[in-house]
Amino acid sequence: MIIKGLLRTELKFCLRYLRRGLSTKSPWDIVTGVCVERLPVVTPPLNDIQKKYKELLWTMEVEKSLKSDHEIRQENDKIQAELLKNESHDVDLDAVSKITAQDFEDAAGEELAQFKFASIETEADKKGDKTTSDRCLQRHLVLVTPVKLGNDIKTILPQGQWKDGETLRQTAERVLKEHCGPNLKVQFLSNAPCGFYKYKYPAELQSDGKVGAKVFFYYANYKSGVVESKDRTKCNWLTRNELTEILPTKYNKSVQEFLIQETF
Amino acid sequence: MFSLSVVKQFSRLAISSSSTIGINSRNIFTAAALQFRITDQLWAEPLKKKKKMDPAIIKAREDRRRKKLEKQIRRLEKNARQLKPIDEVEAPLHLIDQMGKRKRTPVQLSPEEVEARALLQKDWARYKREEYMANVAQIDRIMAAQRRALDMLYEESEELYDEAIMPDLQLIPYTISGPVATPPIKNYDSPDGEYVDVSKKWDN
Repeated sequence: MIIKGLLRTELKFCLRYLRRGLSTKSPWDIVTGVCVERLPVVTPPLNDIQKKYKELLWTMEVEKSLKSDHEIRQENDKIQAELLKNESHDVDLDAVSKITAQDFEDAAGEELAQFKFASIETEADKKGDKTTSDRCLQRHLVLVTPVKLGNDIKTILPQGQWKDGETLRQTAERVLKEHCGPNLKVQFLSNAPCGFYKYKYPAELQSDGKVGAKVFFYYANYKSGVVESKDRTKCNWLTRNELTEILPTKYNKSVQEFLIQETF
Repeated sequence: MFSLSVVKQFSRLAISSSSTIGINSRNIFTAAALQFRITDQLWAEPLKKKKKMDPAIIKAREDRRRKKLEKQIRRLEKNARQLKPIDEVEAPLHLIDQMGKRKRTPVQLSPEEVEARALLQKDWARYKREEYMANVAQIDRIMAAQRRALDMLYEESEELYDEAIMPDLQLIPYTISGPVATPPIKNYDSPDGEYVDVSKKWDN
């Protein structure tokens, strides 16, 4: 059984090499790009019509509802207070001296006022720090890193060459680790690439019969961890608009092609 | 020879000596013989006289048994139809009693208000439709981008394409916690109350 299995893999390898030897080599380099996106943490703000409709639904909800225990209690308190004022009946003093519904409401309101909700604007937002994913909580953020292309360094999505023997998905995982360190935890959403971009090398850099690169983008969601890199200040988490500003026009178009568009 | 040795073993219990079976052996035992006596084998029971029964009584007995069974079946069927009560769905009795007290005075809307509400509902329907169309267009765009990438990959390498279209089993099971209304407070110590499980047990 084992020998059979070994033979089969051997045969597969031989066939693969034979095929590769026969086929003419592609003039394109295969490159994998990784699009790491931090999904919004906080829901986007409501627009005018959403606000109006929410208001309407709320009022209709109240109109149709029955009175709650608290409201009944409040009414009872009112009746008791009136009775106490008139002193026409013998009032049950025990019932009156209790904490009234209004007191309860005030206490609850006070507690709510004391509670501090976290601000939507984070520290990074105030400082304009783009290197952390803890910014613009209502928006989608995409990670860009400095990538060496030929002789110059460009700030684009992390990308790297595909190596023989690995699948594109494995390339994507390796590339991300190389660019951002092992601490960045992400969730890749598919084995298939979600986007494509093709570019030609400048004439003086073309060698080995390679004319350019085909970039296959892989999409991943950010889970936890921080980016570790030599050039940390250039590893940025950018919103859609910031992406448009910083990326080359054609490249940006290919990237935005597979990203969800924000409506606010 | 085997049978002989077995017989020897039990000869102490035997009624008659083994020699009567026809085996020629000369065994002398010093131990006293046990005085067991076994009655003759009959291999059958003496016949009993059959009792004659009144057919009316037999019939009555049969009837009674059938009735009993039917009753049991009926009871089972009745129970099967009885479903487990869901407390949350049934309105508590005290709320039904206080219904009159809890009713709000119906609101009288002015004609303008009614009109404004109707217009807003219509606006909302239009808005939702536009939103839906935009979503569908968006999904189409993203799917087309992926299709193009896969086509390009197929052109480049068939093997890589085959790997790429494999299902990603790491995604199952997949959980995602969506966006929230306010951002989480870091290191927040939630004041948990005491937890008392009051759900009833329904096992039988």
